[in-house]
Amino acid sequence: MNEQTAAMGKPVPRKRQDGAAFGWAGARLAAIAGRAVLWIFLLAVALLTLFPILMTVTGSLMTNAELMGGGRILPSSWQFHNYAEAWRQSNFARFTWNSVYMSVAATVGTLLVAAAAAYVVDRRHFPGKSLYVGLQASTMFVSVGAVVLRPQFDLMVKLHLSSSLWGVILILISAHASTFFILLGFFKAIPRELDESAMLDGSGFIRTFYRIILPLLAPGLGVSGLFAFRHAWNEYILPLVFTLTDPGLQTLTVGLANLRYGASAAMQLNLMMAGACLSILPMLVVYMLANKSFMQVTAGSVKG
Amino acid sequence: MTRWTRLRENSLLLLPSVILTVALGIYPLIWVLRYMFYDYPGYGEETFVGLENFRRLLRDTAFWESVRNTFVFAGGKLLITVPLSLVLAVILNGRLRGRHFLRAVFFMPTVVSTAVIAVVFYLIFNSYNGMVNQLLMKYHLIGSPFEWLGPKHAMLTVILAAAWGAVGNYMLLFLAGLQSIPHDLYEAAAIDGAGPMQRFWRITVPMLGPVMQIIIMLAIIASLKGYESIMVMTEGGPIGKTEVMYLYLYKLLFPVATSGAPADQQFGYGSAVGFTTAVIVGIITAAYYWMSRKMNKVF
Repeated sequence: MNEQTAAMGKPVPRKRQDGAAFGWAGARLAAIAGRAVLWIFLLAVALLTLFPILMTVTGSLMTNAELMGGGRILPSSWQFHNYAEAWRQSNFARFTWNSVYMSVAATVGTLLVAAAAAYVVDRRHFPGKSLYVGLQASTMFVSVGAVVLRPQFDLMVKLHLSSSLWGVILILISAHASTFFILLGFFKAIPRELDESAMLDGSGFIRTFYRIILPLLAPGLGVSGLFAFRHAWNEYILPLVFTLTDPGLQTLTVGLANLRYGASAAMQLNLMMAGACLSILPMLVVYMLANKSFMQVTAGSVKG
Repeated sequence: MTRWTRLRENSLLLLPSVILTVALGIYPLIWVLRYMFYDYPGYGEETFVGLENFRRLLRDTAFWESVRNTFVFAGGKLLITVPLSLVLAVILNGRLRGRHFLRAVFFMPTVVSTAVIAVVFYLIFNSYNGMVNQLLMKYHLIGSPFEWLGPKHAMLTVILAAAWGAVGNYMLLFLAGLQSIPHDLYEAAAIDGAGPMQRFWRITVPMLGPVMQIIIMLAIIASLKGYESIMVMTEGGPIGKTEVMYLYLYKLLFPVATSGAPADQQFGYGSAVGFTTAVIVGIITAAYYWMSRKMNKVF
């Protein structure tokens, strides 16, 4: 018991001497009380964490009147057609397609650009290599906020990419430094003998990259792809800026946030909740399947 | 293999990365460093004005108000996030039953879009038909609707929303740090008769020092930079009470056109504000790093 509480770092029996003074039964009682307090605390935090998500899910299945008036947690009758309505009326079909298109393109692009760069950096020596790596590292730390969006946006206007989602996609891909460093770590685990022998057999450097290296890099690509996808899918300000003039390009995050200024006075709260669900649920499903990978990479960032 | 083949292969694989980094990472920074000395409305001519933008910045009370709000917001967020995530990490580092499940639950908010959850918070913290007030009133915890997004409490509400999204992330970082502390230290201390609290303060805290220093630094930077959720929940209002500096900056660079008239674009001034905000974040980070230098020593 004592060791368990110690590992938890909680002041369960206040001091050993106290326990001794109360005798064996007293110490045991204090330990049980301590555990109860600990669990109440943990469950309270878990409840607060889940509450907004739960409200989104159940709220999306209520009628608007019930949602606005009730103070209920579960709907009295489940309104699944809210989703059909949000999908058709509030344009969520369009938003979802845009989100999928943008996120998939940005993820694939990020992985390819970063993997190719990491391949050269790990396997070859070339002049300016440390300059390149330093540049990548520095882009992760300099932050002047939304200012850089302005020249980025103007550049995309000049390239005639501002009227499609490709402007957003290219900017998302340009932020591939963290993916680059994650993949660089995975390259260290691929033995050089493998690609060297492939090259002895006549496979070129680039051919070796996509025939030998990319398949071996699959675990690294999977993990960093999760992160790139999460980043793109949840991005708000970039697609907001690029779709100010063209609502047909809005992604789920932008389209949903814009519903706050609904044209009609009565907000369709339940439909907004359904839209929020459409945006949150795909990521939650991915998270449930792969939460270990998410946590590993996050933890890896401080373990270095 | 000739040198040229090598060079061609290297460039082919490296160029996409280099071009994107230079065009969309480096060039914008140079743009900011240049235009902060100019008067530039985004079209037509640009005039060199020297330090005029910075002189104006010193007199810009709205900006300094937003800096003050940033400190309140970041301070509040840190005060909730750091202790709570550390406590959760210490508890879940033990041999508690269900710890894997609880870790997954607490980390879950990090996969949810900040903007989307801000919309949800905006809806459920609504004073009159928001679910939070409805539930609190149903169970008689409050008598009348609490104005979560009113001028008095809006800052508290945006802090709560930001903390909600951040606790799980820092919990996981703390956990990673805790797991690198060798277990025999605790066993040796237990044999020597150290109680749980003693072990926490004498082993966990000092051993965690270097990692904790970095985690808190990341938390400080993130809380000074975050403005997405505020933008969605309050847009800096009501009456500028939640306007943080990065939101103020965004509004300068992407002004909203009001009723037909073209928006007033001041990219030169915006660049000066952007540079200043980055310097402010840099100074705070450096000051923290200097003040926390003791944490870096493992005894």
